[in-house]
Amino acid sequence: MVGLRRLIAGSAGTLLVGMFAGFVLASAVGVFIQDSGLFGASGESPIARAYMLGLLQRDPNSIVGIRPNQSIAQRAAELQGADTSRTTTSIQPLSLTYIGGASVGSYSVHIYAVGLRTAQGVDQFFPLALTVSGGKVVRSE
Amino acid sequence: MATLALFAVGILGGVVAHAVLDRGPAENPYPALPKVDEPRAAHDVVAAVGSDDAQALSRMLDSTMLTDLDTALQPIVDVRTTKFVGAVESEGRLLSAYVVTGKTTEGIDFVVGFVLRVSNDQVVGVN
Repeated sequence: MVGLRRLIAGSAGTLLVGMFAGFVLASAVGVFIQDSGLFGASGESPIARAYMLGLLQRDPNSIVGIRPNQSIAQRAAELQGADTSRTTTSIQPLSLTYIGGASVGSYSVHIYAVGLRTAQGVDQFFPLALTVSGGKVVRSE
Repeated sequence: MATLALFAVGILGGVVAHAVLDRGPAENPYPALPKVDEPRAAHDVVAAVGSDDAQALSRMLDSTMLTDLDTALQPIVDVRTTKFVGAVESEGRLLSAYVVTGKTTEGIDFVVGFVLRVSNDQVVGVN
């Protein structure tokens, strides 16, 4: 009985270690493929994309979990701005293009080109570089 | 032998779990612009940055753009590599994007991205 328990525990342990190794391996290979652009991978981070969509759709709530913590006053002011912006439809997104990016250690940089039309009908075209670390956008400029 | 097989099954399971959990970026509801080649003027500026050639850089950018470049490179003070990651163009306005790796004043490896605005074959801005 004890021998059987040991066998099951040992087998489960081996399986778990294997799963962990497989997960880490797949993650590392995925990052390499994304960064190198192999197999048509763009290298774009899901976090960076979600952040950009939240910005363009003027929805601060959708990106609250993926950016650095802000004070309650900052968040309230941002929500006010987003509400005003939505109701006046002052900005119309025209394009969102992922230009490229790269990683160093736990930091990755993702650069976008954004096309907007203002309320005055003026088209604007500008870049935005996002630095992502620890599952959050830690810098946006 | 059985242990090795179990380990292999585990690795396979881990790979499958990663594939299920890693969903990739959400769909982009906006049009994306086609990529274009790196503009020569931007290439020259970044080559000067990469080779630490302040004299060449001083001839290519005005003081406002040099200040913007300094801001864009923060906190890197020692540039190690520069990499062109792509360029896009909209109505004659061209954005050429780069990633720079280097060391901060504390000696920490860091990565930053910046973009050169190019118009009429000249660099007209740094973001």
